[in-house]
Formats: sequence, structure tokens, C-alpha cells
Amino acid sequence: MTLSTLSIRLAWLWCLAMALPGCIDPYEPEAISSPPSYLVVDGFINTNGPTTIKLSRTYAIGSGTAKRPPAEGNATVTIESEAGPITRLQEGPVGTYTSPYLTLTPGRTYRLVVETQMGQYASEYVAAKTTPRIDSLPWQVQSTGVGIFINSHDDAGATQYYRWAFEETWEIIPPFQPVLEYKDGSLQRISVRYPTICWGNDLSSAIQISKTTALSKDVVANFPIRFLPILSPLLNERYSILVKQYALSKAEYEYWELLRKNTESIGSLFDPQPSQLTGNVRSLTNPGDLVLGFVGVQSETSQRIFISRAELPANWTNGTGYESCIPPDTVDTEFTSLAQAFGGGRLLPINQVPSGKKGAARFSASTLGCIDCRTRGTDVKPSFW
Amino acid sequence: MKPVYPVLLLLFFVLTCFSGAAQQTEKTVSGTFDKLPFEQFARQLEAQTSLRFYFESGAVDSLFVTLRVQNQPVRTVLEQALQNTPFRFAIDDENRVFITSGVSISPRLPTEFYQPQSTSAVAGRVAEEEPLPTENTGRSRYVSAAEYQVYEIGGPGSGGGRATLAGHVRDLKSGEPAIGASIYTESPNVGTTTDQFGSYSLTLPVGRYDLKVRGLGLKNTKRQVVLRSDGKLDIDVEEDIIPLKEVIIEAEKDKNVSGMQMGLEKLDIKTMRQVPTAFGETDILRVVLTLPGVKSVGEGSTGLNVRGGSTDQNLILFNDATIYNPSHLFGFFSAFNPDVLQSVELYKSAIPAKYGGRLSSVLDITTREGNKKKFSGSGGIGPLTSRLTLEGPLVKDKSAFIVSGRASYSDWILRQLKDNNFSQSAASFYDLTAYISHEFNDKNALYATAYQSTDRFRLAGDTTYRYQNQTASLKWRHTFNNKFYGVLTGAYSHYDYGIKSDMNEATASDLTYRINQNSLRADFNYYPNSQHTIEFGGSSLLYNIAPGSFLPRGEASLIVPVVLAREQALESALYASDRYDITPRLSLAVGLRYSFFQALGPRDVYRYAPGEARTLATLTDTVRYAAGKVIANYHGPEYRMSARYSLSDNSSVKASYNRTRQYIHQLSNTASVSPADVWKLSDTNIRPQVGDQYSVGYYRNFKNNTIEASVETYYKSLRDFVDYKSGATLVLNPHIETDIVNAEGKAYGVEVFVKKLTGKLNGWISYTYSRSLVRVNAGTPADMINGGSYYPSNFDKPHDMTLVGNYRFSRRFSTSMNFTYSTGRPITLPLAEYYVANSKRLFYSDRNAYRVPDYLRLDLAVNIEGSHKVKKLAHSSWTVGVYNLTGRRNPYSIYFKSVNGQIKGYKLSVFGQPIPTVTYNFKF
Repeated sequence: MTLSTLSIRLAWLWCLAMALPGCIDPYEPEAISSPPSYLVVDGFINTNGPTTIKLSRTYAIGSGTAKRPPAEGNATVTIESEAGPITRLQEGPVGTYTSPYLTLTPGRTYRLVVETQMGQYASEYVAAKTTPRIDSLPWQVQSTGVGIFINSHDDAGATQYYRWAFEETWEIIPPFQPVLEYKDGSLQRISVRYPTICWGNDLSSAIQISKTTALSKDVVANFPIRFLPILSPLLNERYSILVKQYALSKAEYEYWELLRKNTESIGSLFDPQPSQLTGNVRSLTNPGDLVLGFVGVQSETSQRIFISRAELPANWTNGTGYESCIPPDTVDTEFTSLAQAFGGGRLLPINQVPSGKKGAARFSASTLGCIDCRTRGTDVKPSFW
Repeated sequence: MKPVYPVLLLLFFVLTCFSGAAQQTEKTVSGTFDKLPFEQFARQLEAQTSLRFYFESGAVDSLFVTLRVQNQPVRTVLEQALQNTPFRFAIDDENRVFITSGVSISPRLPTEFYQPQSTSAVAGRVAEEEPLPTENTGRSRYVSAAEYQVYEIGGPGSGGGRATLAGHVRDLKSGEPAIGASIYTESPNVGTTTDQFGSYSLTLPVGRYDLKVRGLGLKNTKRQVVLRSDGKLDIDVEEDIIPLKEVIIEAEKDKNVSGMQMGLEKLDIKTMRQVPTAFGETDILRVVLTLPGVKSVGEGSTGLNVRGGSTDQNLILFNDATIYNPSHLFGFFSAFNPDVLQSVELYKSAIPAKYGGRLSSVLDITTREGNKKKFSGSGGIGPLTSRLTLEGPLVKDKSAFIVSGRASYSDWILRQLKDNNFSQSAASFYDLTAYISHEFNDKNALYATAYQSTDRFRLAGDTTYRYQNQTASLKWRHTFNNKFYGVLTGAYSHYDYGIKSDMNEATASDLTYRINQNSLRADFNYYPNSQHTIEFGGSSLLYNIAPGSFLPRGEASLIVPVVLAREQALESALYASDRYDITPRLSLAVGLRYSFFQALGPRDVYRYAPGEARTLATLTDTVRYAAGKVIANYHGPEYRMSARYSLSDNSSVKASYNRTRQYIHQLSNTASVSPADVWKLSDTNIRPQVGDQYSVGYYRNFKNNTIEASVETYYKSLRDFVDYKSGATLVLNPHIETDIVNAEGKAYGVEVFVKKLTGKLNGWISYTYSRSLVRVNAGTPADMINGGSYYPSNFDKPHDMTLVGNYRFSRRFSTSMNFTYSTGRPITLPLAEYYVANSKRLFYSDRNAYRVPDYLRLDLAVNIEGSHKVKKLAHSSWTVGVYNLTGRRNPYSIYFKSVNGQIKGYKLSVFGQPIPTVTYNFKF
């Protein structure tokens, strides 16, 4: 535990010890108007595979719930060695640029050059690093959930700085299978059934880094990579995690460490000052035009594991993620018309249920979110499943 | 000695009526007296001479005279007759002989008695003494007697000139020295105050005086003195059992205006007790924070920022030993037990030459000496801590001890909480203070202090933090003569911390840091005459720092042991200063301190390419120094100057300039002081910090000195203090200089202070406008912060207002109020979001470009004292208070966190609710 979280915990401690309600309030500073629009470079030069670089721009804090930032299209993105350009990346979706499969020489230095309408930018030359493979991803049943750990090592002792990202996938079984649908003002037998299984997918958002410089061997032992609480819907059926490992240079490690400090725990009294962090990309045309992002040069190694519900303690309560859907609503024609109930599309019929009164019909119903698991994932089975 | 009073009164009346001194004729007498009752002996002498005898016959009825004389002068005869008896005689110019028991009186008036300016004073004095019986009520018999006794100092014979009177002022009951008590005569207007040992020295023309004694919590008293030549007078004073505020004003009476010091804040424990605190316990650092020019970064931190200085620039002395971490529990408590404290002095400017080693201020904390007369104790029970103090004489009137302890039971409270996080947590602290004073004789006294404070906490069960302060000091005071005394002080200070982690076997570790400081100093005070006060001395300080060791815990741990090389250094200084009262209106204090610093081996020192930013890439050489070899040498003068000019009896202007040098730096990457901060000595790569401060002030007292007001303004510049590159590693960094940049700072401000310490309603109000700016303009552009321009420091809070008020309903009920307002502290705000590595990130503004919301707090407390019967087994009092009465959620901290990919701002308020407390205090 770092001092940063410490102070917050300490303050919490006081709050609770003194039986005080809520010491922490949301805070939205007003001072933030006319935000700068700087170029953001996200990605790394893959020394053994295709390189994907995403270009975007900074935008105002809390500007809506836009999941995606303003992408920067129509840029020229090139990977260069000190000897000259190697390859130009092709733009796929707007702002995403991908190279063909490349094999770069470890130890040689490479950089990324970006040209937009605003100017020309380049990352610093970084020596290519080879990432060791992941030894194992053990997982462990703990009192409050499942912990997933990572083990890796580099006998040559050349890695020392590690970063991990992961992608997780889990099965989703929706609680209802409607046999009816509301079509043309009446309830009919459903024509296209909703999927009975989907796969949820998510990318890690936390920065997970570790260094072994204080250890006598370049060994990462049981580094906690993911923790899933007992009630997590991800554990309900079958869960899979793909962990990707990257070897970092010291400078890149420091960048990620600062980035983590800046965004994941900052501002309390015992924390370091947040700092204006840019990375290793500079404008070649105008030094005042800042660019954010660190373009590292390394290979990527990965490993996938699966955890099934059957492997977990039987007495654990399942968290389905559909708790709020149960029991389903009922629509009784005694009180409401079908058009009123289903015409708006908010409710979808599931099935007919016995009615208490003659002449009236009663239907179970629920919302799309409870019925269609595609609102939470995809119904296309992943290739690795 | 009752018989003497009427005689004395008569004497005054008679003498003021007669003007012009009659010739005294020296008569001779003869006779043989054999066991003659004194009364008859007197009649026989009256018959032979023109003398008339005055005495109380009852008092002399057991005195018989056996004597054979032939044409001897009357004086000789009387001297022989009264030899080996308690009786004394005095002959005045009117040929009257006064016989008194125990003391001799002087029938002669002081030499300056008939000078024009003094006649009114004499008349006033006589008038004052007329209502004797009423003034006398409630005073102890001893003091009353002492007040009307006339003390003859020095032998007769020395005709004119000046003489020095010196001695101690002590509490009659406890024998403790009365510190800061004023001793003065009104005609001529000469006075002094007692020092930390309760001793004083006063040089006056030979003659007769009424010496008035006023002091903090003391009953006013006086001594009638006939000064013939240099001599000694110890004065016992009575404690004012209920500390009426009148007493306090009189102590500071016109010090505000007539005192030499500026930028000095002095608080006694009684004033401090009146300020309400969050946990019901008097907290000196909290009270110091209510003074103008003193700020802190946040609510839960005790780091002081004095006039724009950083938290490591304060010299905190506890009975002359340096304290490195003055707080408990991350700053929620200060590390000093209020029960043993006597007073706190804070020097913000015009720092006396005898202090040095820190740039911004000196906080001098002194403990009480303990009761020299009888055994007693006191204590208190509060919501989180309890404390107990015992004191008493070791040798009655000669030596006393005081032992005090304080401990928290927050651990126990935590265990009662159901939440797992808390029951696995621990937080506890304690502190112990012991003090012994012994007076060998009039000339020699010894004082010893030992202090220990320890903190330990563990949060949610993974890492245990521990830190402790230990100090010891031994002080020997030797008085050479009335005008000259010296103090030799040896002190030891120790601070260490440890962070123990044992959650993961592979990374279980112990991190420790330690600093030891041994010092020896000699201070001398010399009062050549009433115009000069000379202080001089020297000191030497040996630092020994273990800057960090990181060791594995347990067999399975893979941690590589890292032990950084120790650092040693010697800091020495010589100083001299003179306070010169040029005229009664104009005084000047001039001082010079010259400090030397030598970083010592054994150590490996890294050399870097000159003219380039220090990084590992520019490291050119490693030089090994053997033990005791000097690695780096720094020295320089520190000027200390101040002047006062009185515009009138109740107003003055003062100005001061001082330079300070600091050779030890606290490395803290966080806004406030944390226990894991590291202290680093200057060496080849880290230069000492230098500060200059200029200040000017106007002081005025109103309503008979009951209201003091002052306006002080200052400008301060700081050079070479340490700031850090972004993301600097400060702990366990063998080449820390690569992460440090030299910063320069400037601070300026105006402080307005109005204090009323008298009457039912008393308190103070202070307003400060100040700025504190930092600039990092060295090294490469990447090292510069905010492009190398000035930016507000973490504690730059331009507007700051404090109101501390007390209202006393009766002697048993009083209320106190504390109101604080200040501009919010600067923070660095996120300006924009961006998307990197599957999460939103923040892009930050320039450092400290924005501010948190303003700070506002109101506290209230009610003190209820038990009955005030003087004779009682135990005296007790209750303090009921509410901290943050309005419940305003003042931000302690503002932070932004990425939660589920969304960036959210949070405001954390530690005391976001009214916090009620009840404390019980007792004294026996």
C-alpha cells in the first residue's frame, strides 16, 4: 500500500471511528472551461506483430458520457528506424491506424512519426525490448472472491519493468426466453428468438505495472492482476481472462507510474503532486503544441485462462447481473390495453401466465435489457471459447 | 513585623514634609551596662545624646544589654549592643534611632528621591499604600510581610554610582521559576524580565526603590529595596489561583510597544487551554496556527508554514532539543503533552542570534519545572487520549521533578468497530516527558529533560508504520556574578521511522530511516549596565543520519537488502549580539551569527558534469572520502538586526532584518508532512538554503495597555531550497540529487493583530494578507516547473483571518470560541480528459494554478470548573466543546479518480460534521 491510499484510508478511519456520515463528496471544479485540444497517441510499436496506434484529442472533462474521444483521422502514421521509414500504418476505423505484421530487431531503436493537418509529431527513439512469456496465471479462491495472479520471469534479468493489460470475456445467460412478441397491435408467437447465451467482453482500465529492480532475481511472483468479488456476474457461468504482458524501458515505466498516480490516486495530502505529464512524443513543428502519450517499442506476450462456476465453491451465491429483472412484470388486460403496455416498446412480452379473472389475460413482461443479452455482450461465440 | 509598618508610614510622611537634610552629628557615649533591659539602655543613651529611640517595648522585653564603653560613637555602641541579636538599628538625619527586628530599615531616601520627576511618584506610592488592610486580604502572610520589609542590598560604604541587583523570581508554593515576569521601578523607569530560569539582573543607581513584580498568572507584588552595592534578592511570588486575565496583561503590559522583539508570539499554557480543539485536548500547534503568519496545508497536518516558509524551515525546540516530527497520528495531535508545558515562543522575524539552523522560524517550547514545595498531580480524560502528570520536590526548595505521560486508546476504539477494515487496523501513540531541576547553590543549577514519543499504525492489516522521537537535554547554568551568567547545554535528538510490510512473503520487507543529532552549546548573558544586554556563545551540532535501509523479512522474501551509506556532518556557529538602549525611545539590537557546516566522510560522493542537469547520464565520477574527511564545506554570516523607536508611551515602530542559513532539508514529495519524509544534509551536490527577511511594524496599545494592536509587514526571499522533479523518488534513492531541483522563493505579506487579554471578554483577532511564491528556473526545460516562472506554493493562502474569543460568565463558567477563515490552498487541476490504455486520463494544469474552496470553521467550548476552594483534595474541570459547529465540509483534500473508466472529482472533509467532545481534567 502506498502512502496515497493510506491517507484516504486514514481519513475514512476517522470518519467511521467518529460515526460520521459521508466524509467524501463528489466535487466538480468550475474552473475548467475552454479545455485544450492536444493530440493523443495511444499504442506501442509491436516488434513482433501488427502495430495498432489510436490517435485522438483531449476534450473537456465530464463532457457528456461520450464513451469515445474525438478521433483524429486522415493522419499519416509511420514507423521509423534511425535508418529511415520502415512502414506506413493504414487507417481502418477513424483514428485507428494499423501496420502489417512486423518483425523488428531487439536492441535497435524505433520511433513513430505522425503528421496531421496541425503539424508533424514524433516519439523519441526507443530501443526495442523483447517481452518474456507469462509463466502462469494462477487463481485462488479467497474469502470474498477470486484473485487472479501472474507469474513471470526473465532469466537474463533484462526485463525488470513490466506492464500488464487484460481482456476478459464471460458468458451471459439471460433469465427470460420470450415466446411472444408484440407485433401489429397484437401478441404473436415470436418469429426470431432472442439469443440464449451471449459473451460479455471488457478491457482492463487500470494501469498495472511492477518492477523487479529491488529483487535479486528478475521474477514477478504472484502479482495480483484481477480480483472478482463473489457476487460478480462475470463468475456466474464461465469466465475467461487474456492477460497481455509488456516489457518496458525504465522511462516508459516511469511514464505509466506517473500516469497512474495522476489518474488513479491523486490529490490527497500525502500524495505526490499531480504533474503535467506528456510522454515521449513531441511536436517537430511547434514545441508549444503538446502531444500526450508514450510510444514504447516491445513485443507482446499473452496467456488465457478459464474459470467455470463449477470450479468455485458451491455455497457461493451467484450474482447473475439480472437481479433487478426478477420477478418479471405482469401485464393484465383487465387494467390496461396491450397497446398501452407494449406499444411504447419499453416492455416486451415474455409469456402468458394464468389470470385470476375470467375474460382477462395476463402476461409476464420485462425490459429489453433483461431479455436481450446482446445489450450486455455479443451473441457471436468467440473463437477461443 | 507588624510594628514596623506604622513606623515606616510615619517615616514617609515625616520625610516628605521635611525638606533639606539636617546635619548628622556623631555623638559619643560612655557607660557600663550589665544585663540592663534594652528599654533602660535606650533611656540612658537618650540622656547622654540628643538621640530619640523608637521601638516596640514588647518586642525588646527579652533583650538585655551587657556592655562596657568609653567615649565610643553611638553607632559602634549600638552595633555592639545588638550584636548576635535579631535586632537592627537605623539612625536618621533627625537623630531618631529605629530599632527593628530581623531587618534593618533605611532611614535615608534614595539618591534620586528629590529629583523633580520622582516626587509625584512618591506621592502616588504613599497614596497607594494607605488602604493597606484591604489590599492585604487574601495575601499570604509571608508575601505581605515581604512586601513591607525593606531589603538592604550590599554593605554600606559604596557611596554613589550604580549597582546591580540580581536573583530569581520563584513561585512561593511550587518553587518553580516565574518566567517572563517583569521587575521594574517606576522612578527611574528601569525594568527587566526574568529569563527562562526565572532569573533577573537589574542595574540601577544606588538608592532606594520599590521594585514591582508582575508576571503571567502571578499576583502582583513588590519589594522595597535599598541598593547600596551589587547584591542578590530572590523574590517569591504567589500564583494567582484563578488566572484572571488582568494578570496576563500586566505581564505583557506594554511589551507589545516597548519590547524590542518583533515577529514574536508568546503563548502561555493558560491562554492555549482556552482555544477549543477537535479532540478536546489542548494542542499547542493548533493554537500556534491561529497566530498571524502561520499556516498549514490542511486540517490534519501539523506542518507549520511560517511566513511563506516550508514545513522544514522551523526549528522546533523542546527544552533545547530539536524535535523532527512534532505530531502524532499523521498530524491529528501534536506530540507535546499540554500538562507539562510552560510556554511557547514563536519567532517569525528578528530571530535572536543564538538560534540558527532553520530559515523561517523558531518555535521554542519549554516545560514547567515541577512543584518544588509539595507533591502534586494532574491529568485529563478525553475522547481519544488520557494523560497524567506527577510532580514534586526531590529536595525541598532545591530540586523538583515532573513526569508526564499521555496515551491514546484509539486502538481499542478501532477494535470495537465491526468493519473488517477497521478491526484489522491499529493506530496508537504515546508520549512521555520527564524533567528534573536541581539548584546546587545560588550560582549553579542543573536541568535535565527526557522526552519520548512513539506512533504506530496499521491500516487494514498489510503495512505497519511506526515512528518515534527521542530527545534528552542537560543544561547547566552558572552565574558568574550579578551581571554575567552562562548556560551550557548538551542535547540529543533522535528520530526514526519504520515501515514494515509482510502481506506477500516474496516482498515482505522492513524500511527504516534514522537521524541522530548531538549538540553542545554555550550561551552567555552579560549585562554591563542598564543600556546594554550582551549575549554571546557558540554551538556545535553533530548529525548522523542513516538515510534508509530496506531489508527482507523472513526466509521467503526476495527483497535485495539496500542500505544507503550513512551521512555525517558537523554544524557549528558562533554568535554575539548586543541590545543597546540608546535613549529611552530608541533601542537597537545588533547580532551576528556565523555558521559553519562540514559534511563528513566516510562516504562515496557522486560528481556530475558541470553545467548540466544532474542525471545518472551526467554522472562522471565517484569519489570516496575516508572517515572524518570533509566532503563539503559551507559557511556564512547570518545577520540579525532590529530597531525600535517609541513614538509615544503607547506606540512604537520597529524594523528588523535577518538572514538565516539551513543545512538540513526535509525531502517531502507531498503537500503536507508525512512520517516517511526524509531529512537530508547538505553535501557537495546540495547547497544550504539561505533566507533573508525584512520586516517593519507599527505597534500601538489602547485603553491602558489592555488592548494591543500591531501591523507588521515583511518581505522574504529564499534561495536554494529543495523542490522535486516530477515523480521523484525520495526514499532509498542513493543519488537523490538527480531528483532534486533548487528552487527559489519569495514571500511577502501584512499581518494585523489585535489582542485583548483582559476583562470578561478577551481574545484576539488576526488578519493576514500574504503571498508565497516559488520558482524553479534551473536545469533543463524539462526540469522547470511551469516554464520557470513563479507559481504559488502549496500553502499560499492570501487571506487568512482568525478570531479567538473567550467570555467568562463567572469564575466557574467560561466559553471560548474560535473562528477561522482562509483562502483555499492552491491545487493543480485536471484541465482535459483523454483516452489512453482503455481508460480516460487527465491532463493537468500548470502546478498550483487553481484553488480549493475557501476554508471556514467555527468551534465552541464551555469550561466548567469545580468549586474554587483553595483547600480541596482535587480540583477538577470539564470542557465540553463542539469542533466545526456549522458542520461545513471544508475540503481536506481534493482528488480525481478514474472509477470504472469515468473520471470523477471528490472532496474529502475530515471534520465534515460538528464534532462534540467532553474532557475531564483534574489536579491534586
